[in-house]
Amino acid sequence: MDTLNLYGTPLDSRLLLGTAGYPSPSVLAAAIVASCTQVVTVGLKRTLAGDGDNGFLQGVLQTLRAQGAHLLPNTAGCRSAREAIQLARMARELYDTRWIKLEVVGDEYTLQPDPWQLLEAASTLIAEGFQVFPYCTDDLVSCQRLLDAGCEVLMPWGAPIGSGQGLLNPWALRTLRERLPDAVLIVDAGIGAPSHAAAAMELGFDAVLLNSAVAHAGDPVLMAQAFGQVVAGARAGYRAGIMAAQAMAVASTPVTGRPFLIG
Amino acid sequence: MASIGIAGAGVAGRLLAYQLALRGHRVTVFDPASGPEPAGDGQGAAGFTAAGMLSPLAELEHAPAEVAQLGARSLPLWQQVAAALAAQLGTRPDTYLRCAGSLLLAHPSDAGSAARVLARLEVAPQLVADLAAPQALSAAELGALEPELAPGLRGWLLAGEGQVFPYALLPALVAASEAVWCWNSRVSQLAPGRLTLADGDKLAFDWVIDARGLGAKDALPLRGVRGEVVWLHAPGVALQRPMRLMHPRHRVYMVPRPGDVIVVGASEIESADRSPVSLRSAVELMAAAHSAMPSLAEARILHLETNLRPALPDNLPQTDIEPGLIRLNGLFRHGWLMAPALVDDAIAAAGL
Repeated sequence: MDTLNLYGTPLDSRLLLGTAGYPSPSVLAAAIVASCTQVVTVGLKRTLAGDGDNGFLQGVLQTLRAQGAHLLPNTAGCRSAREAIQLARMARELYDTRWIKLEVVGDEYTLQPDPWQLLEAASTLIAEGFQVFPYCTDDLVSCQRLLDAGCEVLMPWGAPIGSGQGLLNPWALRTLRERLPDAVLIVDAGIGAPSHAAAAMELGFDAVLLNSAVAHAGDPVLMAQAFGQVVAGARAGYRAGIMAAQAMAVASTPVTGRPFLIG
Repeated sequence: MASIGIAGAGVAGRLLAYQLALRGHRVTVFDPASGPEPAGDGQGAAGFTAAGMLSPLAELEHAPAEVAQLGARSLPLWQQVAAALAAQLGTRPDTYLRCAGSLLLAHPSDAGSAARVLARLEVAPQLVADLAAPQALSAAELGALEPELAPGLRGWLLAGEGQVFPYALLPALVAASEAVWCWNSRVSQLAPGRLTLADGDKLAFDWVIDARGLGAKDALPLRGVRGEVVWLHAPGVALQRPMRLMHPRHRVYMVPRPGDVIVVGASEIESADRSPVSLRSAVELMAAAHSAMPSLAEARILHLETNLRPALPDNLPQTDIEPGLIRLNGLFRHGWLMAPALVDDAIAAAGL
C-alpha cells in the first residue's frame, strides 16, 4: 500500500486542497468530495479577527467529517512570526488540532515566504508541540534549516501563490528531492493545470497542495476530480519507474533485417 | 384581491410590497427597522450598504450564468420602476437609476488578473442573449469617458450596465406604495397564511411572504458574509459610472452617488462579524481607489460601514412557494441586481 504519512497520520490521497475563492460553499463542498482529498486547508486570519465563523467553517468541517478528511488550519496573511504564532495557537484551541500550515509572507507582490520569520515561527511552534507544515521557497539551505528545527513536512512553492505558472524551477525542486530524501515534500502554490501537478509528482514529491487552480476553474468540481485523478496517476507513474528518454526511436516490435541505421 | 403580509423591508420586501399593492392587493410589511430611511449603521437592510450596481456582465466573474440572466432581465424592469416612481412622486427617473455602462479597469502591471476576469466575461454572449462582451477601450476613449482616471490604466466598457441609488430608491418604494408599513416589528415565524411577531402576536393573511435577509436564519441555512464600504466626499472628481478595478488580490469598485459622493467597496469576508470596518480593509479599498483616481487624494472620508450579505450555501437566491406562503431569500451580493426578475417570477408563480 502506498501511504502518505503526515506526522504519523496515514493518508491515501496525495492531494491537499485549499478552500478560498470558490463560487460558493456548496461548490467547495462538492469539490472536496470530487477530489477525494483527505487534507483541507483553511485560512483563519480574517475569519477569527472579528466575531468568528459565520457558518462557513462549520460547513467545511461537516464535509471533512463525512469524508474522513483532516483540517489543516493555515496562517495565510501573516507577516511576522509573532502574528503567525498567535494565530496558530488560536487555531489549535478552536479546532483541536496540532497541525498548522505556517505561512509568513515577506513580500506583498510575490507573497514570497519570509525564510527568517518562518524559521523563527516554526521553531517556537514545534517547541509548543505543533506539527508544522511550513510554506517555504525552494531554497535548499532554508529547507534544511526548517528540517533541523523539527519540521517533518516541507511545502516549497512551485510558483507564487495563485499565479498558476506551474513549476518555475524544476531544477531546485529536483535538488530538494535528491538532497532531502527523508523529508515529506509537498509542492504548495503555483499549480495551474493538472499537468503541473503531475510534473511535481513525477519529480518524486510526496503530494501537492493547491487552491486557485480548482476554485477559479470554469467548473471547479470537475477540475477537483481531474486533480485527484492526475495526482494519483502521476504518483503511480513515479513508483512504477519512468523509463529514461533517448533521442532515437525504438520500435516496440523489432524490425528484422534492419539492425543498424546506415547512411 | 388578497391580504398579504410581508416579513422584511429590504430590497426584495419593498419591491414585492410595491408590485403587489399596484396589483390591488392589501399589503402589510413588517420590519425591525425604525422607518423607511437608511440608518447608516449597517444594522438594517444590506441593500442600503450595497453599491447598487446593475452589472449582470461584471458579476459573471464569480457568479453562475443564472445570476447574469436574472440580472439582464432585471435591468429594464428597474428602469420601468424608476420611471413609474418618478411620475408618481414628481421626481426624475435619474433620481433612482442611471445606465451609462460600467468600466472594468486594470493597471498595466496587473494585466494577468485582467486577462483572467475578461476570459470569464467573454463567454457572456453565449450565456445570456442580451449581454455583449466587454469592449476594450483605447487610452483616448477611456480618458474621454472618465477624465479623472490615472493615465496608463487599461479600460473596458460594459455597455448597458447601470446603477441604482439605494438611498433614494428604497424610501421611494415605500412612499409610492399603498402598503401598510409596520416598522419596529420583527417577524419571528412564518407559516402558510400566518405571521408571528417577536412580541407573540399572531396575524392571519391570505398569503405571507418571507423576504427577510439574515433574519430568516432560523428557517434557512443562511450565513452572513461581511462586506465593508467607504464613503468619500470628492467635490470636483466627477465620476459618470460605476467602475471596478481588477487586481490580483483586491476586488474594488468605485460608484458615484449624488452630492459628489463616491462609494468604494467592498470586502467579502466569510464572517458574520458586524463590528466596524478594519484598518486593513479601509486601507486596501482606499489605496486601490486612489491608485485608479489620483485626484481622490484630497477626498474626505465621510463614513465607513459594515454589513452582512445574506447567503445560502450555493450563494444563489431561493424561491419557495406553497399555498399561503412564499419564501424569497438568500440574495447575497446580488439583491439589487436580480430582485425585479425574482419578484416578478414569484408573483407569477403564486398566481397573484
